[in-house]
Amino acid sequence: MASFNARITMPAEARAGEIVEVRVLVRHPMDRGGQVDAGGATVPRKILNRLTVTYAGEPVFRYDMHTGVSANPFVSFTTRAVETGDLIFEWREDGGATYTRTARLVVT
Amino acid sequence: MSSPISPACAPFEPLPSRRQVMAAGAAGLALAALPAGAATPPALAELVARLTEGAAPERAGIALDIPQLVENGNSVDVAIRVESPMTEADHVRWIHVIAEKNPYPDVARFHLSPRSGRAEIRATLRLATSQKVAAVAALSGGGYVMADADVVVTLSACIDGG
Repeated sequence: MASFNARITMPAEARAGEIVEVRVLVRHPMDRGGQVDAGGATVPRKILNRLTVTYAGEPVFRYDMHTGVSANPFVSFTTRAVETGDLIFEWREDGGATYTRTARLVVT
Repeated sequence: MSSPISPACAPFEPLPSRRQVMAAGAAGLALAALPAGAATPPALAELVARLTEGAAPERAGIALDIPQLVENGNSVDVAIRVESPMTEADHVRWIHVIAEKNPYPDVARFHLSPRSGRAEIRATLRLATSQKVAAVAALSGGGYVMADADVVVTLSACIDGG
């Protein structure tokens, strides 16, 4: 896909030990395969099958997606603020493409 | 609409031709000539047992929040919360969502850790038809908890082929 549009919503800063909620919304058709398009051809399966989140280098969350996840998938999870660092979001798409986004959390 | 799942959603099975039906009907075998129908979906209990390696999950300490009536099965909000201190010794390892009548019943799995702080997630799912949706959580101690909910879907995902 030409453009990968992800919206990550989370506080920019938090106190140490505080639990922060991270909300992630991605624009993606999540083609589950088998549908028939306007031209009569069958659309192959192409979904984001995994989202991995690391925080200051440590994995904190993983979301395994199958065909039952909606188009433009949304997910919300929590993580405990431990140190100032980057949250790195990496999506893996069918076919092997990966997309990465970064958000910084400042811990006071 | 007669069927909640369109052919684009379920594996396509050609209907017998009129000639086949007539011939079979003449022989009194019209029923036998009809396709056996889509394979019956595995029962929810079976799907859960596969996740828990046979252990019976407890039905406590987990809340599955999903609307009882869904207008559009293409995007269904779900929230799941497990009561857990989320410490190194006692935390939720993962939460798995099953929709038993979806073409592929395993919907999603959320991997958590003590770093999560709370065992609480929200997401958007697709539901092919009215059915029971279940959430199974694996605890660090080796146990499992589950919750399920009946959901009525008025417009199923799959119907428009899109």
